[in-house]
Amino acid sequence: MKKALSLLLALVMALSLAACGGSSSGGGSSTGGASSGGSSTGGSSSGGGSSSSQKVDEILIGNLLPLSGTAASLGKIGQQARDMAVEEINAAGGIKSMGGAQIKMIYADSKGDSAEGVTQTEKLITQDEVQLITGCYQSGVAMASTEVAERYQIPYFVPVPSDDQITARGMKYIFRLAEKTSWRNRDQVAFIQDMAAKTGTDIKTWAIVYESSSWGQGALTALQQYIPEAGYEIVLEEPYNTGTTDLTPVCLKVKEANPDVVLMVAYVSEAALMTNGFIEQGVKPKAFIATSGGFADPTYFDLVGDNCEYFFDISTWEPDVNRPYSAETNAKFTEKYGYGMNAEAVKAYAAMYIIADALERAGSTDPDAICAALAETNLTEGPQQMYSSEIVFDETGQMINAPLVISQFRKVDGVMSRVSVWPESEARVGWTAEFPYSK
Amino acid sequence: MSLMPSIINGASMGAIYRLIAMGLTLIFGTMRVTNFAHGAMLMLSMITAYSVWAATGINPYLLIVIIGPLMFFVGYATQLFLIRPVLKAESDKNDPIGVLLLTAGFSIVLENLALMIFGADYRMAQTDFSNTVFTFGRTSLSAPRLYGLIITLVVSALLWAFLQCTEPGRQLRATGQDRNTAALMGINSEQTFAVAFGISTALLAVAGLVLLPFYYVTPSVGNVFQTRAFIVVVLGGLGSVPGALVGGIIIGLIETVAAQFMTASVTSVLIYLVFLIVLFVKPSGLFGTPFH
Repeated sequence: MKKALSLLLALVMALSLAACGGSSSGGGSSTGGASSGGSSTGGSSSGGGSSSSQKVDEILIGNLLPLSGTAASLGKIGQQARDMAVEEINAAGGIKSMGGAQIKMIYADSKGDSAEGVTQTEKLITQDEVQLITGCYQSGVAMASTEVAERYQIPYFVPVPSDDQITARGMKYIFRLAEKTSWRNRDQVAFIQDMAAKTGTDIKTWAIVYESSSWGQGALTALQQYIPEAGYEIVLEEPYNTGTTDLTPVCLKVKEANPDVVLMVAYVSEAALMTNGFIEQGVKPKAFIATSGGFADPTYFDLVGDNCEYFFDISTWEPDVNRPYSAETNAKFTEKYGYGMNAEAVKAYAAMYIIADALERAGSTDPDAICAALAETNLTEGPQQMYSSEIVFDETGQMINAPLVISQFRKVDGVMSRVSVWPESEARVGWTAEFPYSK
Repeated sequence: MSLMPSIINGASMGAIYRLIAMGLTLIFGTMRVTNFAHGAMLMLSMITAYSVWAATGINPYLLIVIIGPLMFFVGYATQLFLIRPVLKAESDKNDPIGVLLLTAGFSIVLENLALMIFGADYRMAQTDFSNTVFTFGRTSLSAPRLYGLIITLVVSALLWAFLQCTEPGRQLRATGQDRNTAALMGINSEQTFAVAFGISTALLAVAGLVLLPFYYVTPSVGNVFQTRAFIVVVLGGLGSVPGALVGGIIIGLIETVAAQFMTASVTSVLIYLVFLIVLFVKPSGLFGTPFH
């Protein structure tokens, strides 16, 4: 056992060393690569001059995704969503300002690994000579690979990763469509505030039950800011270790604290244990609200049965959300690939339309022109509305007002489902939130 | 603040730790073998029980008539075909490490087989009594936990009676005390070892079935319980059945009651701290006899 452990540790260390080696070797070759990247972009923009339009046959977009490894299924759905969007854009005449240029996607496999992501990004820029990069599923890969793009001064559009830090590093060529992780917590608080006001429910105290690794810690830090700001009080902050045998002690503690709102951060095993534990112990706050993760896992409903009824959860898109283009696009995707979209696929799909819009306005494949166009994006019409009705980026390249939707676990025709309830304009037609918790 | 809810719930979880630990301590007590595949065997019994339950929908507790003998047989066969040859090859060594590695390797094999066949998903047996809760004053205890507490108490008592009052039980204890002398008295130690292993895994079958209505099943589910079981066994005294009884309750109570005064992530540290203190003050455990 010990031997196995030490072997594992040695392996992990070797891998992390290899990771360091990978990124530093990337750094070493960057000086040589930068000049070749610069010359290639110089070549393509020389025809168009400074800002006037140029005629281009093909626009190459590099796409970094985890196409193998543990997140391969997520990479695949991201690829399919992009392919569908690109097909639609090309079929509709491509980028008209560049004489109907067609978008061509070049996929690279990050294997979900930061070092591999860096290598592949270098390859996309120096060998494939792409004009723009998009993709990534993991925040870690996005953090590392965006550094490369920034160094080569190639625009990098990040649709999915949500780590706050991605757009907090003062980079000029990085744009992010997804919400920041902390915004989920901000909107959880805003939702409770809104519901309390609308229903006249008296809410004062919160309990936060979170897993003790970086995800839970990050959520706690954000909540420690937003909850007091909203005039509420945190009466219990309870961390637990993932892989614990029993969460009853935690549930008992929440019962003792008797908060008005119970906010939960958990992977699926603990999400199930705490949901069942809260119901068993008769914990009755005015709202249970979850932070996606385990609560959005497809197996969650099987693990908890009816116990999760009337719990709230937050996400960026739901199949039933009432937004333009949402139902049609999801139906088309389902018909094409045999399964429905998820929030990540929606962001990937919307991203291609936003990129196409920027290319249209740039009228050139010059990276700086594309960058300037992306920064000036102000989109209110088009298929990307299934994600957000207004696309605007702030000076850090972060999408402003990234949309979040609250769903409630409700029985629809006897089957437990996620029903979008907030914001009310985007709620499932005919449904309103059941607030306060009344089970 | 009333501690009654924590004490009752802690005792119910402790009873399950105890049942798992009793099997571990039984193997160590008779054979001096530390079974690192104990958690994986628990997982095996839970996955088998879940699959049978999912296919038939029978009350999980009744499944003991299938899973109990099945797991006894699995344990018996493991001893006969896996452990015995290695033990024999190392019989001249003072410190047989081969068996240790064998059981550790076996647990990895079992876990990966389960991953292949069962998949990594989490599942839970939602029985019609899974969501029933009994409330006494301010104390709530779910039906599966209450039934589990009763069943583990009964099984513990049965095991105790078996060890004290029956001939095979006497043989087990005799072999544990001194295997050479026991062999001289005409006890077939090979047979006794296999029976000990079989009983140990049959206890896991009971533990698995008790967990099934309120705990998730996944290929790695054995790991957490195995760690707890080791702590319980060392705390109570390696090889001591009453030690496992008391140790299980102590760990269950620490976990639940202490969590009311500190954060839950700290209590898991506290358990190891108690464990270290016991090792330091009384290395043989609460009920153990000092080694020679």
